[in-house]
Amino acid sequence: MSDLPKSGVYLSPAPHLSVYPTARHVMAIVVLTLLPIAGYGVYLFGLPALVTILVSVASAVACEALFRLATRQDVRVGDLSAVITGLLLALVLPPATPPAMTALGAAFGIVVAKEFFGGLGANVFNPALSGRAFLLASFATPLTTWSVPRMLAAPDAVSAATTLSYLKPAEGGVHSAFEVASLAGYSSRGELYWKMFLGERAGCVGESAIFLIVLAFAFLALARVIDWRAPVAMVLTAVAVCWAAGIDPALTVLSGGLLFGAVFMATDYATSPVTPMGRLLFGAGAGLITALVRVFGGFPEGVMFSILIMNSVVPFLDRAIPRKYGYARARKGATK
Amino acid sequence: MKSYSFKGGVHPPERKDATKALPIERAMPSTRAVWIPITQGGAPNRPIVQVGDAVARGQRIAEADAFMSVPVHASVAGVVKKIETHLVAGNVDAPCVVIEADGSDRTEFMPPLDPFICTREESLARVRAAGIVGMGGAAFPAHVKLAPPKGTKIDYLIANGAECEPYLTIDERTMRESAAKVVDGVAIAMHLTGAQNGIVALEDNKADLVPVIEAAIAAQRCNPVGPGACAISVALCKTKYPQGGEKMLIKALTKREVPAGGLPSGAGCVVQNVGTLKAISEAFREGKPLIDRAFTVSGGACESPRNLEAPIGTLVGDLIPEIVQLAPGVKKIISGGPMMGIAMRDASFPIQKNTSGVLFLTERETALVDESPCIRCGRCISVCSCLLSPVLIVQALKAGNLDEAKRCGLLDCVECGTCAYVCPARVKLVQRFRVGKQLVREERDRAAARAAQKGAN
Repeated sequence: MSDLPKSGVYLSPAPHLSVYPTARHVMAIVVLTLLPIAGYGVYLFGLPALVTILVSVASAVACEALFRLATRQDVRVGDLSAVITGLLLALVLPPATPPAMTALGAAFGIVVAKEFFGGLGANVFNPALSGRAFLLASFATPLTTWSVPRMLAAPDAVSAATTLSYLKPAEGGVHSAFEVASLAGYSSRGELYWKMFLGERAGCVGESAIFLIVLAFAFLALARVIDWRAPVAMVLTAVAVCWAAGIDPALTVLSGGLLFGAVFMATDYATSPVTPMGRLLFGAGAGLITALVRVFGGFPEGVMFSILIMNSVVPFLDRAIPRKYGYARARKGATK
Repeated sequence: MKSYSFKGGVHPPERKDATKALPIERAMPSTRAVWIPITQGGAPNRPIVQVGDAVARGQRIAEADAFMSVPVHASVAGVVKKIETHLVAGNVDAPCVVIEADGSDRTEFMPPLDPFICTREESLARVRAAGIVGMGGAAFPAHVKLAPPKGTKIDYLIANGAECEPYLTIDERTMRESAAKVVDGVAIAMHLTGAQNGIVALEDNKADLVPVIEAAIAAQRCNPVGPGACAISVALCKTKYPQGGEKMLIKALTKREVPAGGLPSGAGCVVQNVGTLKAISEAFREGKPLIDRAFTVSGGACESPRNLEAPIGTLVGDLIPEIVQLAPGVKKIISGGPMMGIAMRDASFPIQKNTSGVLFLTERETALVDESPCIRCGRCISVCSCLLSPVLIVQALKAGNLDEAKRCGLLDCVECGTCAYVCPARVKLVQRFRVGKQLVREERDRAAARAAQKGAN
């Protein structure tokens, strides 16, 4: 070839290389790590859980596409972020949530909490948790009716109490882990812990599979898809505050949606801080609010509230930027 | 041997194997003509030759009086054919002196000068007269770097042989083939700046160069040329982009940081590219001005990757196809490296004093993905070599908040491109910072104009 490549040459600013995953790949990785958790939820709670998951994902994707079509914006469901929102919403709903409600929650999360704010990356509040909060406020009873996992199910069992609901006795104060174990029908604390670790308890579709959530955290953190700071700070703070209030630390971690929320909700890119210090503070704040709700609140669980509240202070937390190069307080060996 | 490093950075594919073993070959343009930009670093020059003048190799053809200016010399002997604007690196048109070679090797070099006997002023004048600028890419006048502000003490003279840009192997070849000249340049620069320590810094992917340079240092020691010329050592740094950035290299080797808005001399360091140091040695020992430039030609669409040395002003297009053969499917032509180089609109641009490489990239190896919305993943913060918060700078610029952008580090950005390299949304971060810096400059100018007006009233 002799002549110069005059045409077909691209001009664009440096850098001219980029081999890292695109936004879509990142989202795909998150979807893939959520799938085993969703699958285990279906295994535990059966067909209703599967219906909840499918309805939630389908309506999240459909709502985003329809809204962007209606407002004449480019349809970008291909970025998979709506799939994640749909999956996350389903995994924090009770397995037997009526499909129409699930669809409504997904619609609220996508349209009101995400697209009204400008879509991907621009939303203030976590769309999945916004959808859940909307449903909890609108349909309190279905949203607090828990199915029994298959290994505990008596033939006629339709609903069960969650471990968290055993925690706060009517007469005030908190129960010890042993008391909770006996209330839940286990012979020892160890058995209670083990069963909870395996997810054999009533709860939301995705929050029960503790061991899968821990694995997902390890994978996502090592693959640098999520940052470890917010989840670790959230769990540690919640455990510390609950422990001070007399709640068994293992029980704090294993019950409710603390781990799931810490790993998948407190690390949501758009609605959590971007700076390392901001992420620590975000996690600590969410952990504190979770613990306060669990100990003093009218609801048994506070993960959803804590993260939504912390979402609103993200711009403030992002002011905690790292020390910049060249701004060291005192330079060693300074020659001035 | 210990490998030094800094916090942040990335590991782009190195792709240096195509050229790292190839010796530097001398190349001449097929047209026998060179287009020499009259300003190549420093303040603007004016031509001092006229069309029709016969010039010798090494003769001065453009200069200016400003301290920050650096003269330019004829790189071939011949006749000045034209003085006209031409496409140059940076994708702009700039005035060039066109010289047609007459095939003779008439040279007009300066007389050799012993750097360890002459005065400091004479030495600095020689470095400037030789037209030497930073050859790593920035084209900053070398004599300015070697004359740090009064009252600053220079402890380290760092020879930058990190070559952290992918594809490029020209610094590596220069060190391998001209280690003695590089080390001599280090000794001269140490003598000039009063630095007690000289460090030749390499990325550890070039660890096999250590004995070569150590042998050159030993030879230099056997022939002591002046005080301070002995304390030269070789240091390895982790192979990580942008290890060759001045600020990162200083941090890695000395644990010091260049003060914000300041010069490396503020951290007691002077950093010079190894090619620049070789040119400094030649300017003293041979009286040779900077008229030849060695560079790497590579990339997936280049069928004959090689290391070349050509007269400055050689149009890259004039090396095709005799010396450089291209494969079909060139999607990007880059002057410099792939991380900080400039995409050119065609190959008809001259090799300049700061052209370290020319790359012909295929669609597969370059980044042609469209920008998508920022997802706020924060990767840019964790890799920023200057510990800035790129995502927040862009956010502040979008909101028109220059003060917040500055607080997040807009003016501290060295435009290394690490953030944009990792960005999953492919946001053109560096481009936005350049626009932002321009806005800051405009605001500063307006403020200065207002102040001036106030003073006049």
